[in-house]
Amino acid sequence: MMPRRFLALSILVPVLWTGGLSASVDFNRDIRPILSDYCFTCHGPDERKRKGELRLDTAAGALKGGETGDTIVAGKPDDSELIHRLFSTDPDEIMPLPKTHKKLSKGQKELIRQWIVEGARYEEPWTYVPPRRHPVPPVEGNDWSENWIDNFILTRLQRENLTPSPDTDPVTLVRRLHFDLIGLPPTPGEVNQFVKRWKEDPSACLEATTDELLASPHFGERMAMYWLDLVRYADTCGYHGDQDHSISPYRDYVIDAFNDNLPFDRFTREQLAGDLLPNPTVDQKIATGYNRLLQTSHEGGVQAKEYLAIYFADRVRNLSNVWMGATVGCGQCHDHKYDPYTSRDFYALGSFFADVDESQHFKVGSNSLPTRRPPEIEVHTKRERQRIAELRKLLKTARFADEAARKQVETELAALEKARRKTMITVAIKPRTIRILPRGNWLDDSGPVVEPAFPAFLARNNPPPASARLTRLDLANWLTDPDAGTGGLTARVMVNRFWYLVFGSGISKRLEDFGGQGEAPVHPELLDNLAVEFYESGWNVKHMMKLLVTSRTYRQGSLTSVVLRERDPYNRLLARQSRYRLPAETIRDNALAISGLLRTDYGGASAKPYQPAGYYRHLNFPARKYAHHADDRQWRRGLYVHWQRQFLHPMLRAFDAPTREECTAERPRSNTPIAAMTLLNDPSFVEAARVFAERILKEGGKDDKARLEFAYREALSRLPDGKEREIMTRLFQAAGKEFKANPAAARELVSTGQAPVPGNLDAIEHATWTTVARAILNLSETYTRN
Amino acid sequence: MNPAAGVAAPQLPVMNDQFINAINRRTFLKGSSYSVGSAALAYLLSQDAGAAPKWKGVLDGKLHFAPKAKRIIHLCMAGGPSHLETLDHKPELAKLNGKPMPESFTKGQQLAQLQGRRNQLKCLGPQYEFKPYGECGRLMSSAFPHIGSIADEIAVINSLSTEQINHDPAHTFMNTGAVIPGRPSMGSWLLYGLGADTDELPGFVVMTSAGGGQDQPIAARQWHSGFLPSRFQGVQFNSKGDPVHYVKNPAGVSRETQGDLLKTVNGLNNLLGKRQNDPEIATRIAQYEMAFKMQASVPDLVDVSKEPKHILELYGAKPGDGSFASNCLLARRLAERGVRFIQLYHRGWDHHGNVKGAINTVSGHTDKATAALVKDLKERGLLEDTLIIWGGEFGRTPMAQGNGRDHHIQAFSLWMAGAGIKGGVSYGSTDELGYAVAQDHVSVHDLHATMLKQLGINHELLTYRFQGLDFRLTGVEESRVIKEVLA
Repeated sequence: MMPRRFLALSILVPVLWTGGLSASVDFNRDIRPILSDYCFTCHGPDERKRKGELRLDTAAGALKGGETGDTIVAGKPDDSELIHRLFSTDPDEIMPLPKTHKKLSKGQKELIRQWIVEGARYEEPWTYVPPRRHPVPPVEGNDWSENWIDNFILTRLQRENLTPSPDTDPVTLVRRLHFDLIGLPPTPGEVNQFVKRWKEDPSACLEATTDELLASPHFGERMAMYWLDLVRYADTCGYHGDQDHSISPYRDYVIDAFNDNLPFDRFTREQLAGDLLPNPTVDQKIATGYNRLLQTSHEGGVQAKEYLAIYFADRVRNLSNVWMGATVGCGQCHDHKYDPYTSRDFYALGSFFADVDESQHFKVGSNSLPTRRPPEIEVHTKRERQRIAELRKLLKTARFADEAARKQVETELAALEKARRKTMITVAIKPRTIRILPRGNWLDDSGPVVEPAFPAFLARNNPPPASARLTRLDLANWLTDPDAGTGGLTARVMVNRFWYLVFGSGISKRLEDFGGQGEAPVHPELLDNLAVEFYESGWNVKHMMKLLVTSRTYRQGSLTSVVLRERDPYNRLLARQSRYRLPAETIRDNALAISGLLRTDYGGASAKPYQPAGYYRHLNFPARKYAHHADDRQWRRGLYVHWQRQFLHPMLRAFDAPTREECTAERPRSNTPIAAMTLLNDPSFVEAARVFAERILKEGGKDDKARLEFAYREALSRLPDGKEREIMTRLFQAAGKEFKANPAAARELVSTGQAPVPGNLDAIEHATWTTVARAILNLSETYTRN
Repeated sequence: MNPAAGVAAPQLPVMNDQFINAINRRTFLKGSSYSVGSAALAYLLSQDAGAAPKWKGVLDGKLHFAPKAKRIIHLCMAGGPSHLETLDHKPELAKLNGKPMPESFTKGQQLAQLQGRRNQLKCLGPQYEFKPYGECGRLMSSAFPHIGSIADEIAVINSLSTEQINHDPAHTFMNTGAVIPGRPSMGSWLLYGLGADTDELPGFVVMTSAGGGQDQPIAARQWHSGFLPSRFQGVQFNSKGDPVHYVKNPAGVSRETQGDLLKTVNGLNNLLGKRQNDPEIATRIAQYEMAFKMQASVPDLVDVSKEPKHILELYGAKPGDGSFASNCLLARRLAERGVRFIQLYHRGWDHHGNVKGAINTVSGHTDKATAALVKDLKERGLLEDTLIIWGGEFGRTPMAQGNGRDHHIQAFSLWMAGAGIKGGVSYGSTDELGYAVAQDHVSVHDLHATMLKQLGINHELLTYRFQGLDFRLTGVEESRVIKEVLA
């Protein structure tokens, strides 16, 4: 039962959110999803497909009824045509029509009847109601909460008669924090330090470590990994010949932005409209690369009109997925079937990009590598410019111990100065005319001309009509202004994703679609408060991440019980933390870090790790030969790996990294034999194992026991238990015997990859430990965030 | 295990896979104590589909029709084969050879590379004679005598059209039924719906070969699983290097050592799985076992050295040459081993210039092996439950582009054989010049619906919830099964 005090409180909460708190039927939670699934296709927003003049997605439409009369009579289900039709067994009467193959369950029908009994109240879709701060529910006798997030979580758990899990142990927690915030494992030293601080004061320890990690340059890299999925960043143009295009400075801009904690509203403005800001800086120009990230084609004989339509739709899909949590792309051919977006909204939104010069693609496109994609500029990124300034100052002011020291600085400076990179940017031109394409048909020029405009139904969030044509800058401002635009909605879309990054799934499960076919949030008030907190903090991303990871909810153990699994199989209520496989790039980074091979250079051109020979043989115009980097770039973080859209590196692919043709807000976490073979046999992992083995032999102590302990501590931050030692020892002995019988094979194994082969190690011993190291890198625990 | 990690929740009795799966199924079906919307439920299913150790298909044997086919071999003639030099007999076009293309055909129509020359469009007569083949006596191009020799096995459709005029989007449309990237390919749909009859090989295998025309690129998106879990994506077999990426042990590692390693990893994962009650780990153990099996079964599959000489000669295959002929032979071996969807791309059909010579070359690469595959399958009793589809992503213009032909989406042809297909029939027709469909139009979605029908699936019922919509391979518009080509 709910505590009395909270019941009283809930009266203050708007109707919209009380559904979860009472036993009565809640429209948004219970009814809208059914109507949306079963009815809106024919009785929804799409006027052209509407049947029987009946519209069920709005209260007005439902009240008005259809051709056959009183569809819904509040309080009187037996007088309501809807109930009659739903419960009918007559194939000519029953709804949905049998030919749709859609059938409501008995429970669903009863729910609708109950809803009508209770007055058939409609509520506005939660998605479009701007978030507002809700009172934090007090919890009696609560010494569990660390911050207000926990009060919301705990209240809900109590209502469900569940209790939160105890805090996890500090070792698991420090690993979790490192993977979540910087995407790298902690070193044994970092683990020890954390455990020590934790014993003194857990909350202070967590806060201090969080601050350190948020200040690490790797924080920006970790956040960029996610952002680049959203905006579909890749190193190649995607269609047909999939040629390289010049864009890596944009990737570095994103990393810098997260590291510098650039407020999210500015981040949005610079990407969508940096070129329209007064006197744009180099970084703001680089940021406009966002508008150039879409897939483009160089196919000979490419139909300009066809591709203009493809590019246009691509931009709207991405913009709406990333910032609006909406699937406006549906409007290309018809009004949205489930959400209030019209086809006109689709074209009006796309018109904001009518000033992006597309025609140059068609004129100067070439089959060269990289291809040419004007407008492009040659730049140093922000960090590069800072370093150059530093080095120049050093040369002017510092006294060098000797000529060699000076020379070293000069060399670095010279190399940096030369290392300007080309990058695609946006430069506004006179906007081209945009017409609504009837049914999306790009051959049809008969549709009306549209100008940039915000979706009509969000009108109450719309600024008064401007005298001048609206621009991309107006769009960016509208997206991030909580008062005069839809900033609150944008904030809600984004905080839901931050939540996903540290809890494994969103408060609303659907990270890219908050629309009618999305899922109502499990903790709506919490999601609202986080959204308000986000923009009121000045769109402070680090502040939000810190708030999340310093909650008590975050600290919980991830173990589950039979009861909990039955009650909450997908951990939506968060009576525990989540456990899941690391993302593809992090699996790579983790193995390289454990081995000691990882190079943590920041930014720069993309890196090319080993890749199966001939993998690009289907690419043409021009034919492609992949040459992996024969120097240190080989061991760069996964984030920097060359992203070939059509043939993404097989390792990244095996672990669900997206090809980045479209916005990806949530990656699947598959579990396949191909992934197993990749971890077992990809030379990047075999090389990591043999270099790790070299460390085990050199740094792990004299005997095998100490060495195995060293290996476990490095890879898993813990020691092996008795049973584990036993199993590992068996492998160690079997492999040792094999390699002793075949020393040539041992030498082959320890020569995998391009890292120098140590001359001072016994190859048989090295190969044996390499086998143990391979086993460790393949342990589920090694690449699972717990 | 981390000693401290164990305190967080009550420990459970040791769990075996069966128990874990039973729990999963129960909780999935029941939902949970709080409301899970149907959208969420479908999503949960998708996650299960991503992780269950052995996937029996979402239909789990409950087919909508009695199936005729167990598997599909799609011979994708990539580049856009000319229907006018293969399967669509157009004597009137021969008469107009070199003469202006009547404007009534092309007015207001979208053309590809010929767009800029639309005032000088000339007809190009068929470059090969059409002859009657088989007992059915169907007129087919004399450039493909071997395919002619199986005329009575195949049903020809002359009335297809597509929506995309460039290679990449046209392939995407043919494979996924949509132009927007990110939709699952047909092989992925089949795996999702039916699973596969093998746990030692991937259920959806793709092979490619080239020769005969411009090598238009083929993107891996053509066999991607799109929004379906990635376990349903096609696995490409390579003709050079490892047949499957990372299928070989690292240099210096024997099968025995690899086996020891696998045993160790699975043993340790098993300990962890018991401690954490994590079904994901049980799945992982199963997948490592399958990986180990694949490491043996894939090299065995591609080793055709034990095939008798007459079989190699029938196909015209030289082991390891990466040719279309070798791929056809491998397709048979894959079919024998329970693979659900086998897709062979031959990238040699983009004939903007010299269509006559190019057709001759591409025939040399593909004609004999194609017929051999059908015959060999029939000989082994496999043709009756194997559906073969031969065709490209679009057709080519009756208008000349020099001495070649441009891309053409208004009409093209393909054929099907095996698994309940009526041999010897032709369906649909084009106008007298082969420009547009004149009768019995067949859409790409109709083709997909027919294909699914033969596998026992109602195309309207195989759906997957993504971004709130129930997607299906055949899209939202109505499509129909082409019953006229079914026995």
